[in-house]
Amino acid sequence: MASEAECCPLGVFKCQLCSVTAPYSYVGQKPPNTQAVVLLEESYVMKDPFTSGTDRFLVLGSRCSLCSRLVCVGPECSLFYSRRFCLPCVQDNISAFPREIQQDVEKRKGPKRPSSQPCP
Amino acid sequence: MPPPRGREGRDHRDHHWTPSEEEAPEKWDWNCPETRRLLEDAFFRDENYIRQGSEECQKFWTFFERLQRFQTLKTSKKEEKDPGSPKHHIPALADLPRTYDPRYRINLSILGPDTRGSRGPSSRLPPERISEFRRALLHYLDFGQKQAFGRLAKLQRERAALPIAQYGNRILQTLKEHQVVVVVAGDTGCGKSTQVPQYLLAAGFSHVACTQPRRIACISLAKRVGFESLSQYGSQVGYQIRFESTRSAATKIVFLTVGLLLRQIQREPSLPQYEVLIVDEVHERHLHNDFLLGVLRRLLPKRPDLKVILMSATINISLFSSYFGNAPVVQVPGRLFPITVVYQPQEAEPTTSKSEKLDPRPFLRVLEAIDNKYPPEERGDLLVFLSGMAEISIVLEAAQTYANHTQRWVVLPLHSALSVADQDKVFDVAPSGVRKCILSTNIAETSVTIDGIRFVVDSGKVKEMSYDPQAKLQRLQEFWISQASAEQRKGRAGRTGPGVCFRLYAESDYDSFAPYPVPEIRRVALDALVLQMKSMGVGDPRTFPFIEPPPPASLETAILYLRDQGALDSSEALTPIGSLLAQLPVDVVIGKMLILGSMFNLAEPVLTIAAALSVQSPFTRSAQNSLECAAARRPLESDQGDPFTLFNVFNAWVQVKSERSRNSRKWCRRRGVEEHRLYEMANLRRQFKELLEDHGLLAGVQAVTPGDSYSRLQQRRERRALHQLKRQHEESGGRRRKVLRLQEEPADFSSDEEHAGPAPRGAEDSVDIQDVKFKLRHNLEQLQAAASSAQDLTRDQLAMLKLVLGRGLYPQLAVPDAFNSGRKDSDQVFHTQAKQGAVLHPTCVFASNPEVLHAQEQEAAGPTGSRDDKDKMSSKHQLLTFVSLLETNKPYLVNCVRIPALQSLLLFSRSLDTNGDCSRLVADGWLELQLADSESAVQLLAASLRLRAHWESALDQQLSYQARRRQLEEEEEMTAVVSRKEVAALSRELLQFMTSKVPYSLRRLTGLEAQNLYVGPQTITAAPSLPGLFGSSTLSPHPTKGGYTVTDFLTYNCLTSDTDLYSDCLRTFWTCPHCGLHMPLTPLERIAHENTCPEAPQDLAPGTEEATPKPLQKASTLQRPYHCEACQKDFMFTPTELLRHRRQHV
Repeated sequence: MASEAECCPLGVFKCQLCSVTAPYSYVGQKPPNTQAVVLLEESYVMKDPFTSGTDRFLVLGSRCSLCSRLVCVGPECSLFYSRRFCLPCVQDNISAFPREIQQDVEKRKGPKRPSSQPCP
Repeated sequence: MPPPRGREGRDHRDHHWTPSEEEAPEKWDWNCPETRRLLEDAFFRDENYIRQGSEECQKFWTFFERLQRFQTLKTSKKEEKDPGSPKHHIPALADLPRTYDPRYRINLSILGPDTRGSRGPSSRLPPERISEFRRALLHYLDFGQKQAFGRLAKLQRERAALPIAQYGNRILQTLKEHQVVVVVAGDTGCGKSTQVPQYLLAAGFSHVACTQPRRIACISLAKRVGFESLSQYGSQVGYQIRFESTRSAATKIVFLTVGLLLRQIQREPSLPQYEVLIVDEVHERHLHNDFLLGVLRRLLPKRPDLKVILMSATINISLFSSYFGNAPVVQVPGRLFPITVVYQPQEAEPTTSKSEKLDPRPFLRVLEAIDNKYPPEERGDLLVFLSGMAEISIVLEAAQTYANHTQRWVVLPLHSALSVADQDKVFDVAPSGVRKCILSTNIAETSVTIDGIRFVVDSGKVKEMSYDPQAKLQRLQEFWISQASAEQRKGRAGRTGPGVCFRLYAESDYDSFAPYPVPEIRRVALDALVLQMKSMGVGDPRTFPFIEPPPPASLETAILYLRDQGALDSSEALTPIGSLLAQLPVDVVIGKMLILGSMFNLAEPVLTIAAALSVQSPFTRSAQNSLECAAARRPLESDQGDPFTLFNVFNAWVQVKSERSRNSRKWCRRRGVEEHRLYEMANLRRQFKELLEDHGLLAGVQAVTPGDSYSRLQQRRERRALHQLKRQHEESGGRRRKVLRLQEEPADFSSDEEHAGPAPRGAEDSVDIQDVKFKLRHNLEQLQAAASSAQDLTRDQLAMLKLVLGRGLYPQLAVPDAFNSGRKDSDQVFHTQAKQGAVLHPTCVFASNPEVLHAQEQEAAGPTGSRDDKDKMSSKHQLLTFVSLLETNKPYLVNCVRIPALQSLLLFSRSLDTNGDCSRLVADGWLELQLADSESAVQLLAASLRLRAHWESALDQQLSYQARRRQLEEEEEMTAVVSRKEVAALSRELLQFMTSKVPYSLRRLTGLEAQNLYVGPQTITAAPSLPGLFGSSTLSPHPTKGGYTVTDFLTYNCLTSDTDLYSDCLRTFWTCPHCGLHMPLTPLERIAHENTCPEAPQDLAPGTEEATPKPLQKASTLQRPYHCEACQKDFMFTPTELLRHRRQHV
């Protein structure tokens, strides 16, 4: 039906940092089938694969507002603070961010540095 | 005041609320239902992300409460102002909010009700509360996003970490280069079954089929692959099994059973619907899998674009590779942790008790050793492989005692006869400090995978069904396992961590094990396979290029059997009945029952019985000892036989379902019935029905929709509600793992009563998902109508039903031992043609009341009343017809029905031999019937010949009608060839025949008697010149038995005898009751006269007359036209017949 057509993938999203891949079905700020929620950035969105509702979406990622790299929303790759920043850009400009963010990034770097290498 | 919810909340709660209290006179309470309702009204409407009353809504409030507590902690901690960072020169960084607020980290925003005006219900709430709520909602959504993305990322990490991930590209590349076959050899846990289909999907293939040997694997793999490929709720990945399919036009990968794929090939031999075919678990060497490989090998040259991937454990890879012209092999290592093998051969201990019983002590020693060596904090369960159920219960008892003593074990059995709920228990978790000890058959070797196993005990034994084609007997025998199985068992200990495998045999034993298990094709009956091969037109089964050919003898037996059953003709071509049987996914005998049943308008009851006989017994083992269960079951028992008991159980269950649906589970439990089997029966029954309808054997019934729109609406509403229930169940993820209790209390049947009342609402378990599925799948009204009509089956219908069963099951017959009436109930003995001394299965209805089988009451006080028991004259001798003969420690007859002996033998026997006056009959060379009165003997015999011919021709017409109907499909409704009237007449006659009361004796011939049964070919014979006898005038001498061949089954006067040498010559005066003729005649002449007497009432069914002239027309090659001068007639005579005829005139 209509919803079925809308969740047909437009392409495959691939994070340029961690290579996580998933088919996306929408790019923009108003995910389909949802009226009450808007996104604050141009996002790559798929239907939430873990629930059955057609109005459930999952934001996969978006472009870094500094370097335009396509990055996923995973905490190892990017963060959102009013807009999307990939972690390398955050680190390069760490001083521009409030202390809470700095601490947070410090914490992420700390114990384990998950592979930023593409998975095989 | 609600109780504080958690640690963090306690101290700060009041403090936090102070400012609000200043503003609002009444205390603000987020937990107030009214407040919540107002907020929900405003934010959780139908068009919103979260809907009022949904599960999500509940989740939100839980989240909300937690967030509140968390925030009170935070706010109280830090109130210092952020110093603020200097303005940045990069514009994108320049306008970042200076003061940190977690909300800036959320990339979504909610359009709230206030954007649509402030008149909504929220207007009654203070605005700062609204924004507080809104912020919480935002956090909730963000949390949900993070969680879902985390799952997605984790999924991909796990997939990438699988051993096979490194080989994905190589597999795809090899597949590209080699058009034909790639063998993926991967060990347990390498992920081949889940990953290879996904690699194909990612590579752009969109018509992929993956076969599995087991239905359950199809479902679970489709689920898993759907989940991993992020289309859990999409339709890319589906499965197709016998009764269920989730396949749609959008499906790209389908998991299906091997049997189903073979059926698809049967329909479309080139398999056009697939690009890639994955055949999984080929190493298991199932019958169908082996056959599929052969079919594929032939198909591949014809479909060069079809790719095939074989997947196997690293067992005997070269066999598969070389079978497909040295197909390339991609070898993938498994992921197993190191496993220590400990050989603990059992010393020849002084056997404790009698003889063969298993000694549980070696198993207990392992339990002890584990307790001594490994601290209880170190988790890890034990899996014990035993050969069979009896062994499991022996060890279970001993281990239970040990467990009660140590309190460190929960002992659980696992085998296929357990109820589904009991099987599922093995997946539950033991409490901490306690280990699971799972006692399993080889079901846990491949079919069931249990996580968390650290220790394995391998008895080295397996019980396997072997088939004895001579005795048509299945034998459950204990064997040593193969090395491959031993490795598989060992591997179960290393799935989650390093493990230990205790082998209760010596290393030298292991070395002497066969390397691989015997392939199924070498140890089972091949009837069904041969039938399928015939119907697929793959040519002579003897020359089919099997990967490893079956034993020739077993092929021959199967072909012979199918010929005997009428499925193949003498040139081994499929008969109409055979081609129909090939399409019914059941035993040949049960297929025959279905066909016969539909012919006699008994389709509804026969459908149920056929379904019941095709599934495992629904009676649970545990209930066998329960008196309560037995008592509750008794009203359902039928003294006609087990199939009728099953029939009653099913019908009563359907009634229960349609009356007070929710109680059917309890109803079953009280009677010791495994409800799951009844669901299977319902499914199978429906499939049979559809098959019969498809083949024109059963008029398709239009689904009766209630006329008025109101009830239609009602029905639609009900169905929608059911669908919703099903969806909810699926979303909640089905069954959750529970924590096992240390001491399992025995199943208590009475305790259910207390909970009986109204089912507790809201409780998850109250939804019986099986019941929901059942109601969605079946038209309960139709079923109920069939069930209630079954309750008032007339005596005649019942008798016909038994006849249909008897003919379907023939030649599976057993005769009661002559001395049974003097034996105890439990010692009743029966004999089949090939097997002496079979006993009744303990569940059999006749095991508890065998009297109904005894022929003691002699109503006609025969002159032989004083004689020995075995020669007892009675008109009520009975035989048992049974579904299977199963040998474990004794040969057991399974699923028996009692049928009248003489009449059944006359109607079914493939070979009937008589003496001169037909008072002595031998059926199939092993059962002797001695009739007191030769006159009635001949009468009965003649009647049976007539009925058999009529029955046969009606059946042939029916089958050829359906075959023709399929050819000319445009002809919408050819008048049914076999008219109702004809069938009714035939059934009437059959019933009359069945009730005929002729005293006779019945006994099984001894081996010596059977050997010297026949007079043998005679040089000079007095030819009985009896035109009209047995409806045919041409009797030719039987070449081996002697006597005369009357029909293909009846041989007259070929039995040796010392008493009746001249009986056929003895004439006595006799008066014909019809025409008054009075003259001295032999018994045969009398019958001959009666059959042709012009005055005799024409109660013969139509068709008999037509059949009469036929034998004359059927010219044998030796026959020549002859004009007899003496009688002025023209004949077709063979030379011998000519001589015989001339002699008449001498």
